[in-house]
Amino acid sequence: MATALTITNLRFTYRSYDGIEVEPLLSNLNLTIGEGERVLLLAPFDKGKTTLAKIICGVCPKYFPGALEGSVSVFGHDLSLTEPWQLLTEVGYVSQNPAEQFIATTVEEEIAFPLESLGLVQSEMAERIDWALEKWGLTHLRDANESELSGGERKRVLLAIQDAIAPRLWLLDEVFDDLDVEWRAHLQQVIAQEGRTTLVLASRYLDEFADLFDRVLLLDGKSVVEMERGDLLDRFAHLSGDDRPNPLGAAPIEPRHTHTLAVEDLVVERRRRNALRAAPFELVVEGFELQSGEVVTLTGANGSGKSSFSRLLCGLDEPKSGIISIDGVPTSSKALNRTVGYLFQNPDLQIFLPTVEEELAWSLKRRSDLSSREIKDLVSEAAELFGLTLTDTPTTMSYPGRKALQAAVYYLLDRPFYILDELDSALTYHSALTIIAHLRRRGAAILLITHDRLFASKVGGRGYTIEEGRLRDA
Amino acid sequence: MNTSTFVDGRGWLYRFDPRAKILLMILLCVFFFLPITLVGLAVSVLLVIAVGWHNTGTRNMVSVLKSITPMLLFMLLFAPFNVRGGEVLLSIGSVTIITVEGAAQALRLACRFIGITYVCTLLFATTVMGELMLALRFWRLPYKAALVVTLSFSSIPFIAESFSQIGESHSLREAADEEKKNYIQRLKDLLPTLTSVLVVALRSIPNLAMSLEMRGLGRSETRSSYRSLDSYTHLFTDFVISITIVTVLWLIFKA
Repeated sequence: MATALTITNLRFTYRSYDGIEVEPLLSNLNLTIGEGERVLLLAPFDKGKTTLAKIICGVCPKYFPGALEGSVSVFGHDLSLTEPWQLLTEVGYVSQNPAEQFIATTVEEEIAFPLESLGLVQSEMAERIDWALEKWGLTHLRDANESELSGGERKRVLLAIQDAIAPRLWLLDEVFDDLDVEWRAHLQQVIAQEGRTTLVLASRYLDEFADLFDRVLLLDGKSVVEMERGDLLDRFAHLSGDDRPNPLGAAPIEPRHTHTLAVEDLVVERRRRNALRAAPFELVVEGFELQSGEVVTLTGANGSGKSSFSRLLCGLDEPKSGIISIDGVPTSSKALNRTVGYLFQNPDLQIFLPTVEEELAWSLKRRSDLSSREIKDLVSEAAELFGLTLTDTPTTMSYPGRKALQAAVYYLLDRPFYILDELDSALTYHSALTIIAHLRRRGAAILLITHDRLFASKVGGRGYTIEEGRLRDA
Repeated sequence: MNTSTFVDGRGWLYRFDPRAKILLMILLCVFFFLPITLVGLAVSVLLVIAVGWHNTGTRNMVSVLKSITPMLLFMLLFAPFNVRGGEVLLSIGSVTIITVEGAAQALRLACRFIGITYVCTLLFATTVMGELMLALRFWRLPYKAALVVTLSFSSIPFIAESFSQIGESHSLREAADEEKKNYIQRLKDLLPTLTSVLVVALRSIPNLAMSLEMRGLGRSETRSSYRSLDSYTHLFTDFVISITIVTVLWLIFKA
C-alpha cells in the first residue's frame, strides 16, 4: 500500500504573544496513513486536533504562527517545500467551523472557485457542480449565501466542494457535527467508499463511527497512540471525562418559581434574500410548551427551522402569526429578550469584553438591586462553578473555555428559560452535560437543540422534532 | 465569512450588462460633482432611488438609507456652519448660525452622498459577484485586484451583520429590570460592540487567506471562469444607454 500521509517527530508550539513561554501543543507525534485507508483520530478538546489538520494542509504555521519541527509529507510532497495551493488535488479539508472556509458569495460560486483554480473548462465545471450539488441536496440552495444557510447546510457545501475537486486525501474535522441523521448516514456511505483515503478527526465517539474505519487512533498527551479498540475507547472516555457519572443525574434542582413558556398556532416565514427562486421557508407550530426544571430536546433536519424557532422564542424575530406566552400571558419580544436566554452556537458572538471578570459582571452591573460587593461575589462564584479564571482574556481562550464563559454569563442572568443551540457541537459529552446541569440547578427550563441521538439520550426527557415544516412531539 | 451584497430580483437592472453598469456607475458618480442645479441634483438622486426601489425592493432601499443615516445627520448638522457668508437664514443676536448658502451646501453634500451610496449599492445588489469579477476584468483590472474589490465589498455586509448579531446578543443580556437606556448608556454600549466586531473581523483575516490558498489561489495554471457574460447580448446598446442617461441629465440640470 502506497503512503498517503507521513508525519515524523512532529513538534509544534504556538507563538507566545505575551512573553510567557508556551508549552508545545504537539510533541514527538508520528503518524502514517496508507492510500485508501480510513482512519479515525480521536482527540479530547484543546489537544491540537484542528492544529494538526491545518499543519497537514500546509496553512499552519503559515497563517497560525508557531514553531514547527519534524517532517510532514503528503503523497510524497514535503510540506516544508510545498505551498497550500499545490495541495488542492491532494488534500481536501473540511473545517470544524465551516463558516471560516467560505470565500464566495453563493454556494455555486463556492464550489466553482477551486475548479477555476484548476483551469477546468466551463462545461466540466458545470457538470461537476451540478453533480456535487445534487449529491449533497443543495440544488435548491445554489444561489444562497453562506449567511442564509444552517450549520448542517454549510457542512454539506464544504463536502460538496470536496466531491467536486476529488482530492486524494479527505481531511474531515468534526465533520459529523451539525449534520442531521439523514446526512450523517449519507456521509458514512461516502467515507466507506472503496479506495478513498480519509482521516476523520473527532472529539466524541459517535454511534456512526462503529465499523466505519480501518484504524482508530488517539491523540493522547501530545502524540498519537494506537492500541486495541476497546482499550482505546476507554482511555478516550477517561481523557474526555465521559466515564464520570452523568452530571445531570447528580445536579440538585432548586426551583424557586414555576413558569411555563408556551406557543400557540405560530407561523414563521422567511425568504432567502439571495435566492428568490428557492421556496420560502415556512414553519408551523400548533403547540409547544416548556416548563421549569425540565430539559426538552429539539431535533430536526438541517435547515428545518430549529434556529429560526429559537430566535422567535427569545424575541429576536417576530412571527408571521401566532402567540408566545409566559404563564398564560402573551409576551412581547422585549420581554422575551429578558426572559429566555439563547446561547448561540457560536460563542464568539456573545462575548466581547477584555477579561472574564468584566464579561461576567457586564449584565450584573446593569441591575439596580446589587451592590458592588454582591456583584463581585456572584462573579467569583460563577467563575469557580464553570472553571474560569477571572483575569483570562476571552478571545485567547480555548473553544470549550469560551463556551463555558458564554454559559456562565447566562447562568448569572438567571433566566427562567434557556435555549442551547447545538451546545454539544465541538464539546465533550461531559462538558456539555455539566453546562446543562449548572444552568438547570436553579430550576430553569432548557430547550436543547441537537443532532446527536446519544447526547439526546444522555439528557433524557421529552422532545420535539421538526418534520416537513411542522413542529411535533418526538 | 462573506456576506453577499446581491439581492435577487427581476428588474431591468438585472438584465443590464455588468460592463455597462460599471460605466454607468462611474459616469453617475462624476455627474453628481458636475456644476448642476441643486434641484437637478436632488431629482437625479430621487431617480436613482426610484430605479433602485423598482429593481431591488423597498426593504433593500430602506436598509441602505438606515445604514447611512448617522453619517447623513452628521453632515446635515455640521456642514451648514462651514459657509458663513450670504443671506442669513438663522441667527442669534448678531451671531449668524446658518446662511442660505450654508444650507444649500449641506443639502448638496447630502444629495451627493446619498446618490453615490445608492449607485454603488445598486451595482452590487443587482450583479452576482462572479459576473462583477468578469466585468472588472473587462475593464483591464487584474484578476487579483478584481478579487480584492469583490471580497472587500462582501466584507462590508459581513461586518454589518456581525455588528447586528452582537447587538442582538447584547439585547439578550439585558437585566430583567433594566430601565430604558439613555443616549450616554447607548454610546457606552457601542464601544464593546465595536470592539467585538473588530475582533471578529481581525480573526477572519487568516481564515480568509487560508481558505483562498486551500482553494488553489496562486496555482500556476491559468484560471478559468465558471461564469461568462455571454448571456448579455446588448453590450453596445447598454453602453449607449449609460452614456445617454448621464448626458440627458446633464443637459437638463446643468447650472
